[in-house]
Amino acid sequence: MTLPTDIGKDCARAWEAMPWSLQNSASHEQDEWLTQHLSQCEACRGEFEQQSRLRLAISLPSDIPVDADAGLRRLLARIDAPDTHAAHSRARTSWVTRALVAAVLVQAIGIGVLGARLWSENQADYRTLSQAAAPLPAGAIHVVPDDTMKLADWNSLLHTLHLQVVNGPNDVGAYTVVASGSSAMPRDTLQKLRTTHGIRLAEPVASAP
Amino acid sequence: MNEADIDADATDRMLLQRMSAGDRAALAVLYRSYHGRLCRFLSRLTRRPDVIEEVINDCFWIAWQKAGTFHGDSRVSTWIIGIAYRCGLKALRQHGDEPVEEDMQEDRFPAHCPDEDRELRDWLAKGLSRLSADQRVVVELVYGLGHTLDDVAVIMQCPVGTVKARLFHARVKLRNTLPALAGEPPIRKESMS
Repeated sequence: MTLPTDIGKDCARAWEAMPWSLQNSASHEQDEWLTQHLSQCEACRGEFEQQSRLRLAISLPSDIPVDADAGLRRLLARIDAPDTHAAHSRARTSWVTRALVAAVLVQAIGIGVLGARLWSENQADYRTLSQAAAPLPAGAIHVVPDDTMKLADWNSLLHTLHLQVVNGPNDVGAYTVVASGSSAMPRDTLQKLRTTHGIRLAEPVASAP
Repeated sequence: MNEADIDADATDRMLLQRMSAGDRAALAVLYRSYHGRLCRFLSRLTRRPDVIEEVINDCFWIAWQKAGTFHGDSRVSTWIIGIAYRCGLKALRQHGDEPVEEDMQEDRFPAHCPDEDRELRDWLAKGLSRLSADQRVVVELVYGLGHTLDDVAVIMQCPVGTVKARLFHARVKLRNTLPALAGEPPIRKESMS
């Protein structure tokens, strides 16, 4: 933003001072300085005359007819009306507040019920690596199938003896199996496993010390 | 602020204090005191009398409700004009921006309007029509209502530098157009960078 190039420093100062001098908010010194400058500078004098005319024109009353009395009557009527409006507003606010409180209570109860239910449920079906290994059920058997045993035969054997693999194979190729039902005694199952062709080893899991 | 302004502001503060206690007579006095100023100020934003009245009433509705919260950080007039400005902008958003018309209608002038005033109004209206709404508001606030740059910044809620820039650009535009509108050559040619 630059001032016109053909005016000097004093003219720029005069340009700045004009509005405030016109609205009588400039200091006495500023007014005096401006008056002196205007007496010497025709361009600024012309500008100041135009600014004076602008102020005169802009100070004329509004040319748009707006009835102050009618407006004031409407405003006072509006101020009287809000008593009912405010009451409605208060009632609405109160209703909204109650609804919000009710919603919060329902949520709190729901969270409580959900928490209790989760608490009462069994542990998760997974365990993390940092957790200790879950204890094996009683009757678990370590089984080492022969390398030549086919997968179909292994599956058939498990199915026949109602066994399911719960762990393994470990480093030596042993699986841990448990009875999926209570149809057979662990001892019988162990015996059958040992007599099955293709099973190299079948030993009951020793109980934890 | 001269002595008259100080006295007027003291009166306005007293009226606001009474309003905060529910004194409707004080509201009526303040309303009538500001009605003319607000009409003219808002006429720089819209030419619709119904919108102007609506904005003035919105402004005093807020002033009535907030009178007790006025702490005197500024002049009462700055506070009220600021409220009116914001209500005016809100009304413009609702009713659509209606710029000042270039051609003044004959029946717009009051019946008592002398020819000289009519000529002056016509000259001003044509000049203001070249300005943006923000520039028209700044010119009205400074030249019409006599506010300082700081006051205008408070009213328009913008930095003083922005007010200075708007006033500067408005004055440059008016300087180039008003003399020609009055049938005179421009006072000075100048270039803006």
